[in-house]
Amino acid sequence: MQDEENLVRRAQQHDEEAFAQLYEEYFDKIYRYIAIRIGDRMEAEDMTQQVFLKAIRAIASFRWRGFPFSSWLFRIAHNQVVDHLRKKARRATAFLDESLLAADDDPQLIVGQKLDAERLALATQQLTSAQQEVISLRFAGGLTVAQAAKIIGKSEGAVKSLQHNAIVALRKILLGVIDR
Amino acid sequence: MKNNRELENILDDCLQRLAEGESVEQCLKRYPEQTSQLGPLLGVAQAVGEASAIQPRPEFRSRARYEFRAALKVGGKRAPLRFRPRWVIALMTASILLLVGGGTAVAASNSMPDEPLYSVKLATERMQLAFTPSDIGKVKLSAMLADRRVAEIICMADKGDIWRVEITTRRLGRHLTALTQMVSTQQISEPSKALTVPAPKDKEDTGVVPEEALTKGPAALSPGKVKKAKGFIKAGDRIRLRVMLYTYATNDPAALRAALDRVPAPVKPALRRAIGVSVAGYRRTLAALD
Repeated sequence: MQDEENLVRRAQQHDEEAFAQLYEEYFDKIYRYIAIRIGDRMEAEDMTQQVFLKAIRAIASFRWRGFPFSSWLFRIAHNQVVDHLRKKARRATAFLDESLLAADDDPQLIVGQKLDAERLALATQQLTSAQQEVISLRFAGGLTVAQAAKIIGKSEGAVKSLQHNAIVALRKILLGVIDR
Repeated sequence: MKNNRELENILDDCLQRLAEGESVEQCLKRYPEQTSQLGPLLGVAQAVGEASAIQPRPEFRSRARYEFRAALKVGGKRAPLRFRPRWVIALMTASILLLVGGGTAVAASNSMPDEPLYSVKLATERMQLAFTPSDIGKVKLSAMLADRRVAEIICMADKGDIWRVEITTRRLGRHLTALTQMVSTQQISEPSKALTVPAPKDKEDTGVVPEEALTKGPAALSPGKVKKAKGFIKAGDRIRLRVMLYTYATNDPAALRAALDRVPAPVKPALRRAIGVSVAGYRRTLAALD
């Protein structure tokens, strides 16, 4: 987005259209990040909405410090995910089962995406928490290494290392599928 | 170490290029010396990237957009899905109704999601669950509530109320998840399969298993203990529970599918999801019961 700074400034001055544009820009990315991270589509939907509600409430406190608005927004999402996972630490969650398996009687509907997303989620759940975070931010959220580093509070080098290790680990986990 | 760091940097550079539309082959040409290491990783990265491209459901997208716009007007103060103050009020009302009973309680118990007393109905159910003393009772009640949600989903679908079909489907999913957890986390003190060893023929088959046997195994099932031990749990409960769950698992999706034929077209996707939630939920619960 070329004029993001201007949009954010307008949103801070209660310009609804400006905030709505920011919302449209980041809605899908935030949703994907949360969905991959927590593995439950229904919960991901609730939490995505909560992220943007929090953003509305906190937009006045946002300051440009060399990082884009997305970093701030993903930070909110990250905190939300961490809270959620902490609360549900003892509960096992089946990935996207209810919604992605929702077309039981209509397998043609979403079967292609279902298999990929489900497999990915199952595989990522076997990564370390930090690796999961990096994979979600980089691939689902579409953030750069620098942005991801800022959000999870690590150096860029550490994020690159986590990213590399995560992909190596995912390869091992998915080996039978990818190299078939 | 240095090599590792170099590979991490190269991998990151390639990931960035892939994200910008470059192909794996083009990336590998840039780093011919690392092709053997890089190739498999980029293959995985590409697959992960594609699998990550989950799209929000269109109904959710439009509902969320509506909610967001509404929240913008009030500075984000509006809770999108749960109105806690109303919930608290409903809980208080339900408490009073449970205590005093009366026609309002009956009216609330029959209310549908688009009716004013529905929040009282939900609050009453929560209280019923909270005050149900036995685990098996909670499981049965949860199953009944799930069945009740299915009836509500069908009612709302018939009225073309997509939003309430969605919300009630969520509630159905939560009931079924809770049901699975109750069963799988062994909150039901049920006999293990090892305890299905036939009782000695000279002893009367009381159909009950002593609790001690549940923790200590079949060895605790010595003659005499069957009658003397305290804290019996009826072995038949498990069978009855299975029959009940199996009935719901068959009837609920069937009822939803039957409704699918008659409801307005825009409601069908939401109803299909309800079917999926119902099928998957019961399947998990029955599997957990095994």
